[in-house]
Amino acid sequence: MKKMLLSSVFGLGLMAGAMPAAAQTASCEIPVGAVLSITGSIAAIGKAIGDAGQLAVDQFNEAGGVAGCTAKYVLRDDQGSPNVGVDAAKTLVEIEKAPIVLGAIQSGVTMPILTSVTVPGKVVQISCCSSAPSFTQLAQEGGTDGYWFRTLPTDRPQGVVMANIAKAKDYKKIAVIYVNSDYGVSLARSFKASFEKLGGTVTSMTAYNQEQASYRAEVNSAMQGDPDSLFLIAFPADGATALREWISFGGTQNLLLSNALRADEFVKSVGAKFLTNAVGIDNAQTEGPSVEAFNKAWEAKFGQAPNGPGLHTMYDAAAVALLAMEKAGKPDGTAIRDNIREITQGDGEVIYPGPEGFKKAKELIKAGKPIRYEGATGPISFDANGDVTGPYLIWGVADGKLTTVETWDKMRVADAIAELDK
Amino acid sequence: MSGYIAYLVFFLIVALTYSIVVMGLNLQWGFTGLFNAGVVGFFAIGAYGTAVLTGPDRAELIGGFGLPFPVGVIGGMILSTLAALVVGLATLRLREEYLAISTFGIAISIQLVALNFDTLTGGAQGLTGIPRPLFATFGSPGAYNLFYLGLVATVAAVVYFGLQAALHSPWGRLLKAIREDETAAASLGKNPAMVRLQAFVLGSTLMGLAGGLYVGFIGYVSPMDFLPILTFQIWAMLIVGGSGNNRGAIVGAVGVWALWTMSGFAISRLLPVEYQSQGGAIQVIIIGLLIVLTLLFRPRGLIGEAQSVSRHVS
Amino acid sequence: MLQALADGILTGSIIALGAIGLTLTMGILRFANFAHAELITWGAYMALGVLAITGVFAGPIGPFSFGLPLILATLVAAVLTAALALVVDYLVFRPLRSHTNHMTVVFSSFGVSLLVRMVILLIFGGSAEYYSDELQIAVRLMPGLRVMPDHLFTLGLTLVIVIALHFFLQRTRLGLSMRALAENPDLVRINGIDTRTVVRWTWIIGAALAAVAGVLYGMTVQLRPEIGFQLLLPLFAAAILGGVGNVFGAVVGGLIVGLAESFSVLFIPAGYKMAVPFIILLAVLYVRPSGLFGGMRGGAK
Repeated sequence: MKKMLLSSVFGLGLMAGAMPAAAQTASCEIPVGAVLSITGSIAAIGKAIGDAGQLAVDQFNEAGGVAGCTAKYVLRDDQGSPNVGVDAAKTLVEIEKAPIVLGAIQSGVTMPILTSVTVPGKVVQISCCSSAPSFTQLAQEGGTDGYWFRTLPTDRPQGVVMANIAKAKDYKKIAVIYVNSDYGVSLARSFKASFEKLGGTVTSMTAYNQEQASYRAEVNSAMQGDPDSLFLIAFPADGATALREWISFGGTQNLLLSNALRADEFVKSVGAKFLTNAVGIDNAQTEGPSVEAFNKAWEAKFGQAPNGPGLHTMYDAAAVALLAMEKAGKPDGTAIRDNIREITQGDGEVIYPGPEGFKKAKELIKAGKPIRYEGATGPISFDANGDVTGPYLIWGVADGKLTTVETWDKMRVADAIAELDK
Repeated sequence: MSGYIAYLVFFLIVALTYSIVVMGLNLQWGFTGLFNAGVVGFFAIGAYGTAVLTGPDRAELIGGFGLPFPVGVIGGMILSTLAALVVGLATLRLREEYLAISTFGIAISIQLVALNFDTLTGGAQGLTGIPRPLFATFGSPGAYNLFYLGLVATVAAVVYFGLQAALHSPWGRLLKAIREDETAAASLGKNPAMVRLQAFVLGSTLMGLAGGLYVGFIGYVSPMDFLPILTFQIWAMLIVGGSGNNRGAIVGAVGVWALWTMSGFAISRLLPVEYQSQGGAIQVIIIGLLIVLTLLFRPRGLIGEAQSVSRHVS
Repeated sequence: MLQALADGILTGSIIALGAIGLTLTMGILRFANFAHAELITWGAYMALGVLAITGVFAGPIGPFSFGLPLILATLVAAVLTAALALVVDYLVFRPLRSHTNHMTVVFSSFGVSLLVRMVILLIFGGSAEYYSDELQIAVRLMPGLRVMPDHLFTLGLTLVIVIALHFFLQRTRLGLSMRALAENPDLVRINGIDTRTVVRWTWIIGAALAAVAGVLYGMTVQLRPEIGFQLLLPLFAAAILGGVGNVFGAVVGGLIVGLAESFSVLFIPAGYKMAVPFIILLAVLYVRPSGLFGGMRGGAK
């Protein structure tokens, strides 16, 4: 029995070697795997993120498929649990034979998939949504073998930009309340370090645990030290709870808000009239033709603007994976890994999202010419650890609605980081 | 075909790891009648204990001792034992439900420590880069998983036969006697509280063992791995498989885990789009109903407790 | 300091209301009902549902954030919560009480609590809800102490309910038989009291109090499907601290737990706050398992 199992493992290797030959036939299918939270605690955003991946795959097929085959989008649900997500990723890699896995959303799910499924299986993993710095650390230690990428910027640039905003607003003493998750912790630390370097004071750093009914104690302790402003790093529901209590107890309405709070639900729960003096940040798409191309395609398909976390980054994750596979010419994880930077960097012809763009890309690749993909989030360039830096927008609330106050393009962000690192 | 086998190997590693937890719970509930509402807590202690002891050294962490894997697992088990003693000693003289409440509390507290004590546990970020035992020895991940399945299956078998032997020993009969009629057992000069404590602590230690095996396989640990829902899943495995029977515990672990991983897929296929975000709740409701209905109508589960009637009766 | 005191008393009084029901069911029905906290959630959401159906037909009263509609909704919610408790008892607990060991009943309550929580999640969704979108601004009573009018109302109502309950248990025939049943069930049966009626009323009173606690919680904080789950440990700690079956003890226990939680934040990181009830619980079990005031039955076997 054991012998049989072993030989089948060898067989797997043989089959992977035989793949390119199979790719020549037109009626084949290449699975593009995705693991996202369709049910469970963050299901509300998971479904739309799944649609964004589907859109990219559909458009690629419209342009003629990938590596001589049709791309098949296989979406699996992680139910918000690491153990279920790992199992789902394993079925994608072993049974569906997907050479790429997109996802997951929460870092706590993404990380075990990376360490126990995709890296050992030599499969590329691209996340739309996991921002924890621990991935960077793992990559630096050589734990990802280069198979890890993400299209969402890490928290560090966001902290730097926010610190600059705070300084520009002339806030001197800031209290930080942050969600006790990888996202909150890393953003809070990055902001504190940046703001102190800019000469400001952080009066308190208060972590709160998610999904508590009341944050009165946390709010009270954050009020110690008489802060002149508050930086709230939270998700909409808990953020509203904490901020309501903060305002009720006479906390300042000089507010700085993190990217996850840019949601109508948050503004409605807190009350727009308390948010007139608030500015928030979001690592989002600036304007530009490539962004427009995505937004239009989304509206055409779903009849509404692509407002929501993770849509643009998920689309780009799928598009980058497909273009790299096209360039590699075969559905092989290692080959895809080695081609991802080929299609996002350099002086190649610029490719925008959409069937026409992908068609053009396919023709150029066929002709052996370089391409450079500019995606739904604008230009993308992965560093050695698979991380991207991105543009930011600063938002506020006016007349009860979310508005964009200003935008920071990548150059400005890079300059701010360089200034701080001096 | 080979892909299915590779997946099956993977699936069985996880399912058999859970089966060890379920056997631990079976010792507590099935054989002794102790309600552990914080299974996930003891599982987490074993996992974190192993991770801290075997993990790589990092400047920002207290732990990361880089010890060999077996030492880490044993360390994790010892920590689980200590935690079980803390709640067990507090409650062993008291009504049984006090143990239930305390275990519920310790699971929540452990979750909080995992989340907040970040110099030890890595906080919400978890601990990354935990070495997987003998990983370098095996060239391909497929071969490694096969090895790990062998390891987990061996441990599960040792636990199974060890428990069977213990249950058929005088100690095991005493356990049963206490569960059935405590007063009678006590009148025979036995100390029911002490025996119950032993069963509880041993069961929790097994949960810690499973936690260590889990970490060794995944190579990463974070508070998200130990949500209260896991306690519920483990209970479902035991109740459906049949409490009071270790074979039932293993069957339940494999069966319920298969059901759980597949049902998410079924929900995403079958449920209308607008209800999908509620699919998780539906899943829990279905399995919750399964538990309650099993309790009401088939209290012995799929494979119930073997009737052990003295041959002198009848 | 002052603020922590005020917050502690507020949280404590809500815990107390929930703990009264729990201590009664633990004393009289003789099992630790893990689903009790879910009655709090259920009550809070039922009031929300009633409000959604009736609409807000009258404005707020005085300085409070709520008016007549919420008061009526609370009454309806109390009835619906009592109904839920009776249905669950009829379908699950009673059949199990009759033919298995009593820990199976405890375990089934664990399953029921999960079911109720998930049903609420299914009907109302997982995001936070409020009875009123208006945000109440706290009034500054003195330096370092801000209180919302709703908080004062909560305190007042708790006080009234506790006093009323005290008289009910001391003066009425039903109340006396409840206490008697908790102390000596056999004697009660001999004396011809219908234990089933007493059990039924125990559920009704416990559930109604839970519903009120839920509404007060939803009013001063917010509504989420997890509120019951998070209150469970404080409720148990309060009931055991006060002595199982002892209503007065549950109130004092609730206040102590609330204050301990509130003051703990001054000494330990707020993230550990939820563990405070557990520490209290352990300490009580080690030092004085029968609770501060002894119970009707106490913790000993």
